Amino acid sequence: MSTVTSKISVRGLRKSFGANEVLKGLDVEIAEGEVVCVIGPSGSGKSTFLRCLNKLDDITSGTVIVDGFDLTDKTVNLNEVRQHIGMVFQHFNLFPHMTVLQNIMLAPVELKRGSKADARATALKLLERVGLADKADARPAQLSGGQKQRVAIARSLAVNPDIMLFDEATSALDPEMVGEVLQVIRDLAAEGMTMVVVTHEMGFAREVADRVIFMADGLVVEEGTPAELFGNPQHVRTQDFLSKVL
Amino acid sequence: MRKIHHSRAGKFALAATALVALAGGFVGVGAAAASTVSADTTGETYVIGTDTTFAPFEYREDGELTGIDMDLVRDIAASQGFSVEIKSLGFDAALQALQSNQVDGVIAGMSITDERQLIFDFSDPYFDSGVQMAVAEDNAEITGYDDLAGETVVAKRGSEGETFANSISAEYGFTVKALADSATMYDDVKAGNSVAVFDDYPVLAYGINQNNGLKSVTEKEQGSSYGFAVNKGQNPELLAAFNTGLAELKAGGEYQDILDKYLDAPAASSDTSFFGLLADSMPALMKGLGLTLLATGLSILIALVLGVLFGFFTVSESRILRGISTIYVSIFRGTPLLVQAFFFYFGLPQLTGQSIDVLTAGVLTLSLNAGAYMTEIVRGGIQSVDAGQTEAGRSLGLGYVTTMRRVVLPQAVKIMTPSFINQFVMTLKDTSLLAVIGFAELTYQGQQIYASNFRTGETLLIVAALYFIVINLLTMLSNKLDKRFNK
Ligand SMILES: Nc1ncnc2c1ncn2[C@@H]1O[C@H](COP(=O)(O)OP(=O)(O)O)[C@@H](O)[C@H]1O
Ligand SMILES: [Mg+2]
Repeated sequence: MSTVTSKISVRGLRKSFGANEVLKGLDVEIAEGEVVCVIGPSGSGKSTFLRCLNKLDDITSGTVIVDGFDLTDKTVNLNEVRQHIGMVFQHFNLFPHMTVLQNIMLAPVELKRGSKADARATALKLLERVGLADKADARPAQLSGGQKQRVAIARSLAVNPDIMLFDEATSALDPEMVGEVLQVIRDLAAEGMTMVVVTHEMGFAREVADRVIFMADGLVVEEGTPAELFGNPQHVRTQDFLSKVL
Repeated sequence: MRKIHHSRAGKFALAATALVALAGGFVGVGAAAASTVSADTTGETYVIGTDTTFAPFEYREDGELTGIDMDLVRDIAASQGFSVEIKSLGFDAALQALQSNQVDGVIAGMSITDERQLIFDFSDPYFDSGVQMAVAEDNAEITGYDDLAGETVVAKRGSEGETFANSISAEYGFTVKALADSATMYDDVKAGNSVAVFDDYPVLAYGINQNNGLKSVTEKEQGSSYGFAVNKGQNPELLAAFNTGLAELKAGGEYQDILDKYLDAPAASSDTSFFGLLADSMPALMKGLGLTLLATGLSILIALVLGVLFGFFTVSESRILRGISTIYVSIFRGTPLLVQAFFFYFGLPQLTGQSIDVLTAGVLTLSLNAGAYMTEIVRGGIQSVDAGQTEAGRSLGLGYVTTMRRVVLPQAVKIMTPSFINQFVMTLKDTSLLAVIGFAELTYQGQQIYASNFRTGETLLIVAALYFIVINLLTMLSNKLDKRFNK
C-alpha cells in the first residue's frame, strides 16, 4: 500500500502502445484534497497518464493505487473504483441521444443509487450548481461548447466521486467560454475535491494548483508548487516549454 | 424417408412399451425394415417428386397440378389404396431429391436409361416417347437437320432430347445448348438465340397446339420409354403397386382415356386477354406472394438475431469470438446464395441422412446468408459510434453491457436502420432464388403459369409488378417507422 495520506499513488508506471513506449516510469503521489495540474508539450503522455488513473488504458507495468484499490490487481472491480473517479474529456462526450437531464441521471439510475426521483433531484441540483438549471430538457446539440462541458462535469459529479480528472477540459472551447468552465473547476477545488487537471491554461494552473507537474517524453521532468515551477524552473526543458507558452 | 408409417408407428410403440426404451427402439426399427419387402402400400402416404414445367405430363391449371403423369399417379394411388403428396420440384431437383430420399418416388416424363437404372429402380414403361425438332413458326430456312450447320440448338438439360441432339451434333455441325425447362427453350428459339429446339414430342405437340410460336419440320425420332422411379433398393412395395395399378388402368381403358385427354385435343386457354391472364393467375400468385413474405419475415428475424450475436462477436475483445464471426461472415458472403440453397436442400440431407423440407431449407439459407450481411451492418454501426461515448460510459462506472445497451446501441441502431431496411428488401428479392429448389413462392408460381400457357412476357410483368408494389410499400412503411422511432 501507499502512504496513508496518498489518495493516488503511482509507482514505476510504464505504458506502451505496441512498440511505442509512451510512459517511461512515472512516480506520482497525490494527497487527499490536493489539486495537481499536469502541463507539458503535446504528445508527452499527459492524457495517457490520466487514463491510466481510471484504467481506461491498460497498464503495461508498475502500480497505480487509487483510494486504496490496486488497479493492476485483476480481482479489483473496476466499475466500482471508477465510481470514485470522475473524468472530464476535451470533447465532452455527452450522450447525444439523451437530454441534459438524462445524461446526468443515467449513471445514478443504472447503478441503483436510490430512486429515480432522487436521481432527478440530484441532477437538477447539479445543473443549478453549474449554472444550467434552465437547460435540463435541452439536447446536447442545442448547447454551446462551454455549456456542454459544464453538463459533462455535472454528469461526472452525479455519482459523487471523490477524485476528478480533467483532460484539457477547455482546449476545445471558444476563448469566451473558457472562463465559465474554469470557474466550475475552481469551485470544486475550493470544496476540497482531489483533482488531477491536465491543462494548457498556465494562469489557471498558477492560481488553483497546489502542485504542478511538468511532463515531457513520458517522464515527469519537474514538479513543485506553482511559485517554484513557474517562478524558478530548474530544468532546461521546463524553461524551454514555459518560455513558449507564457 | 418422408412416408407416414401408421402401421409401423403402432409396432414401434408396442415394442417400446414391452422392452427397455432403447432396446425397444432397435427392435422396432428392425421389424419395420424387415416388413418393408412384403408390406403393401395400403394407407401409406408417399411423397412424389415431379417436374415443374413438362406439359402435358405435368403443369398447372388454375393453380392445380395436372397432366398425364399426375392423372396416372393419382389414379394408381386411388386404385391401390395409398395416398400421394406431389412435390413439384423441377426435373433436376426432383432427381436429386430422390437420391437424397427427400421424396419416395419420381414421375416426371423421365426416360428409362441405362445410366439412370444404375441409381434408380424403374417401373414398367408407361409411355413411349420420342424426340422431335421444332423451329420458329416464321423460319423458312430450316427444313431438316442438314440446315443446322454452324447453328446453335437448344435442348433440356439431362433429357433425351439433349442426348439425341448431342448424338448427331458432330455429323450435322451444330452446337447444343442446355436449358432447364421447355418454356425457356421455346422462348430462346423465338428470340432467335437458338434456331431449333429438340424436345420430347408430346411436349412439343402440346406446346404447338397451345400456339407457342413454333412448328415442327421433321418427323419424330424413335425414342425410349418413360418410367416411374424409386431410389435404388428403396420402396419396392411402391414400385410393385405402381406396376399393378398401371396394368389395371391399361386393361380397363382408363389409361388410353388419359392419353387422349392430353394429346388429342389440347384445350386452348379460356381467356387470352391480359386481364384474363391477370384474373386467372392471381390466386396462384397471391399464394406465392404469401410464401415469399413468410420466408422473408422468418429469415429476417433469424438474421437479425444472428447479426446482433455475431456483430457483438466482431467487436468483442476475445480473439476466438472475433475469429468465429469472421469465418461465418466470409463463408456466407464468399459463396453464391444459389449454391447455399442447393447445399442446404440437397447436400445436407445426403451428409446427415436427415431430410429437410423446402421451407426450412429456404429459410435456413436466407437467414444464414442475410445474417452474415447483418453482422457487417451491426459491426459497422457499433464501430461508427465515437469511442469517446464508450469511454464516457465506462468512466462513470457503468459496465460493458450497460454502456452498450444505454449508450452505444441506441446510437448505432439509428445509424444501422437504413442498412437494415436495405437488407430486408434484398432478402425479399433473394427469396425468388428459392424457386430452383421448388419453393412455391412468387417467382415459382409465375414460372408454373407461363410453363403451361407460354405467355412468358406478360406473366413476368405481372410477377415483377407484384414484387415492385410490395417492396415499395414495405420500404415506405419501414422509413416511416424509422423516422418515428429514430428522430
Ligand atoms: N490508443 C493509442 N494507440 C497508440 N498510440 C497512442 C494511443 N494513445 C496515445 N498514443 C500515443 O501516445 C503518445 C502520448 O499521447 P498522449 O498521452 O495523448 O499525449 P498528450 O496528452 O500529452 O498530448 C503519443 O505519441 C500518441 O500518439
Ligand atoms: Mg492529451
